[in-house]
This record gives sequence, C-alpha cells and structure tokens, in this order.
Amino acid sequence: MTPAPSSGWNAVVVPSTPLMIAAGGTADPLAGVRALALDSVRWLVASSPDRIQVLCSPADPANVARGVTTPLGERVARSLLSAAGFDREIVVSTSESESPVSTGVLIVGDGSARRGEKAPGHLDDRAFTFDSTIESALRACDADTLATLSVDLGAELLAAGVPAFRALGALAGGAEHTCEMTYSGDPLGVQYWVARWQCAS
Amino acid sequence: MTLKLGRQAFADDASLMMAIVNRTPDSFYDKGATWAEDSAFDRVAQVVDEGAEIVDIGGIKAAPGVEIDAAEEISRVGSFVGRVRSAYPSLVISVDTWRAEVGRAVCSEGADLLNDAWGGADPELVDVAAEFDAAIICTHTGGVTPRTRPHRIEYADVVAAAIADTTAYAERALAAGVSRDSIVIDPAHDFGKNTAHSLEVTRRLGEMVDTGWPVLVSLSNKDFVGESLDLPVGERLIGTLAATAFCAQAGARIYRVHEVVETRQVVDMVATIMGSRQPARVTRGLA
Repeated sequence: MTPAPSSGWNAVVVPSTPLMIAAGGTADPLAGVRALALDSVRWLVASSPDRIQVLCSPADPANVARGVTTPLGERVARSLLSAAGFDREIVVSTSESESPVSTGVLIVGDGSARRGEKAPGHLDDRAFTFDSTIESALRACDADTLATLSVDLGAELLAAGVPAFRALGALAGGAEHTCEMTYSGDPLGVQYWVARWQCAS
Repeated sequence: MTLKLGRQAFADDASLMMAIVNRTPDSFYDKGATWAEDSAFDRVAQVVDEGAEIVDIGGIKAAPGVEIDAAEEISRVGSFVGRVRSAYPSLVISVDTWRAEVGRAVCSEGADLLNDAWGGADPELVDVAAEFDAAIICTHTGGVTPRTRPHRIEYADVVAAAIADTTAYAERALAAGVSRDSIVIDPAHDFGKNTAHSLEVTRRLGEMVDTGWPVLVSLSNKDFVGESLDLPVGERLIGTLAATAFCAQAGARIYRVHEVVETRQVVDMVATIMGSRQPARVTRGLA
C-alpha cells in the first residue's frame, strides 16, 4: 500500500497525443505545446522529487486487442517525466476513484477530437460547449464539475481525457488549489490543455 | 562514404540531384532548347531553384553526329562554366566530357567534377582531376569508342563487366591522385549496352553499390525506358521514375536527370519508405 502524502499535492495537465512523445516527422507542429508541457512537468517534479502519480485513461480496448496494452497516457507521462530528468517512482492510475499517493499528480488527457471538419472525429458542434465546461473547471479548480463529467458524452465526442479528469475531480475533493493554464488550443482538431494546479495550503 | 565534390562535401546518406544542362544544338531530349548560352544559364537558374545540388554541363551530344573537336567543345562549355561559377559560388559544377584538354579548361573556370561518360577513353583525364582536386565519374561503356551506338555488343555478364571496369577506373583515378572520396562509379545505362543490358544493370544495381564506391545512375528518358514501354522521347518520365525508385532502393547516391523535382520526390519517397529519411510532417491519426 502506497502511503498518502503528508502534505498537499500539486497537479499538471498535459495532452495525451503521441506527438507529445516525438514529432515523427521533420516538421514539428506541436513543438511549442510539447515545450510548455515539459515546462510544467519540470515544475511538478521540482515539488515531488521522489514519486509522481499519473492519472490517465485506460488503454483503448481496441488497441489492447491489437496487442498494445500500455495506456497511451502512461507512455506520454513516462516520456515527459524522463525528459524532465525524473527517474524515481511513477504510480499509474487508470481508475476514477483514486486517493492521492504523491505530492505530484500528472494528468494526461485532452478534450474533444471532433472540433472541425478535418478533426480526427470530424465536426460535432457539441464539442465546443463540452470542452468549455472542462476548461472552466480546470481554470477554477472545480473538482465537483470534473468528477461528474459525462462519460457517455465524452465518449461520443472522442474526449479521451474524460476518465482522467473525473479521476482528478475525485482526487481533489476538498483540497484547495489555484490554476495557471499555460496553453489551450486545438491546432489539429483536438482540444489540448497545459495547466498547473498549485496547492493553496 | 562521405562524398567530396570539389568545393562541397555531402553526408553519406545524402541523395544528390545532378541536373543536365546541355550546351548543344542537338541533344536527344531537349533538342537544342538550351543551345543559346542565356537559355542554358536560365536552365541552371531553374534547376538550382528546384533543388539540384549539381549541374552537369555538356557540350557534345552522346549520339553520333557532327564531329566536335576539343576547341569547339571548350568554346561551348569553358566560359559558360566560369559564368555559372560566378553566379553560384557554392553550386557543384560538373562537366560532361571525356577529353583531358577540355577537363583542364573547365576546371580552370571552376568546375568541381568531371563526368566521363565514355569510360576513360582519354587516359589523362584522371590526371586533370587530380591536378585540380576535382571529383570524377567513372563509367562503364564496355570499351566502345565515344559517340558510337552499341551494335550487337555482348557480355558474358554485363554487371560483372561494369563492376570490373568501373572499379578498375576508380583505382586508376586513385593512383593518379584523385581523392578517394571524390570518385564515383556509374554503370552508364545504354552506353555500350542494349536494353537487356541496361535492365540487368538496373536489376542488379545493388552489386555495384556493394563495391563501396558511390554509385551514380543516369536513367533519364533513355532508350532502355523507351524500348521497355514502347514510348518515344517525351513520354518516358514515368518509366524513368520507376527505374529511379528501383535504383534508390538499391542505394544509388547521385541521379543525373532532366526532371529534378519529380526525381527528388521519388528518391525522397523511397528513402522515407526505407526509413532512412523522416516524413516531412506526421500528424495523421496521431492528434
């Protein structure tokens, strides 16, 4: 049993795209977003040098059936943590009812992938309202809203981060945080955020 | 092996486009389109803009025709090389000639590379390359006389002959003092070869690559493509590009071409498929 932290915890939200791991091509359209994500992960590591708790969605069952069993979010987290020089314990949580086990929590998740006609999931107008709700809750450190995000609507809108955001909401409970969001955008038709939650206590 | 072509060096994974620039009134493909010096100069500007690393300037068409002596050849290409050199200080300038006398003249004007399409017909050409620290292309022609067409030429093994002759030529250049990294071999499609021979050297190009010498291929719009597809000059680009893809997979380093953009795309695509080049932009399915 991993012990609970003795003090409050900080959290960072980063996108869950494989392009957070590597560009894959000569051009690197998410270089700026990746740099911001890495900055925030470094900040998180500085406040939790011994253990990081990762919240991400479970591996896509279809990908598991194809032989890929490690959740994408976990791979993104490990890549960013490695790039930040972190080589200590990583505790990965893919369920929505977690307790804080570290003073540093890394949430890997994003909003809808249906934010345009060329988006991965084509256009669904409901994506904008749904993502606005998530973004407002992230900015306000509104745990209740995050904890009760609709799983079904999130799935319809290809918002892969919903399980991780719900887990963050459940984790946050009554803890007090302040948010600094350093990125919000959908350059490839998927809503990405980079945000820091700093423990207020 | 790193390639040193006169004033430029290229990494061992670089594929290079050598654009053909004819200062001739009668070459088979362009039929004199760049015979006027200003037209040839415009062609240089165009191919540089298209990304060619090398221009190959020639003053005599390969096929039989009116005899062009060395003085006339020098008048066609000598000062023109100087003009291109002045305008493009870092461009690799190759000259397509078999004559040492012409080689000396063009190297004095700033040429980097001597493209001896006729397989060492003039034994002193290697000495000129060494004297000017120029690079040299060692081609295989089966020993035929320059500007003659193959007639009932036969080989027990055309690839073995091409390897034996080009590597012997390369060693001769090395012995003459040409830098090892400035020597390139070329099977010379259609030179001293019928279509079956050219197809076989294409099919087995990897054996030439395995010699370790960098390999140039000159495939562009040639008769072996035309006979393979029964197409006249002017309709051979697709066949040329198919042969280009095959040679790229086998490991050719330099492509002597009429069409720079199309060839570059094919070579880049093959390299990307093979994993030696990254895609330009990858977001599909990953956002």
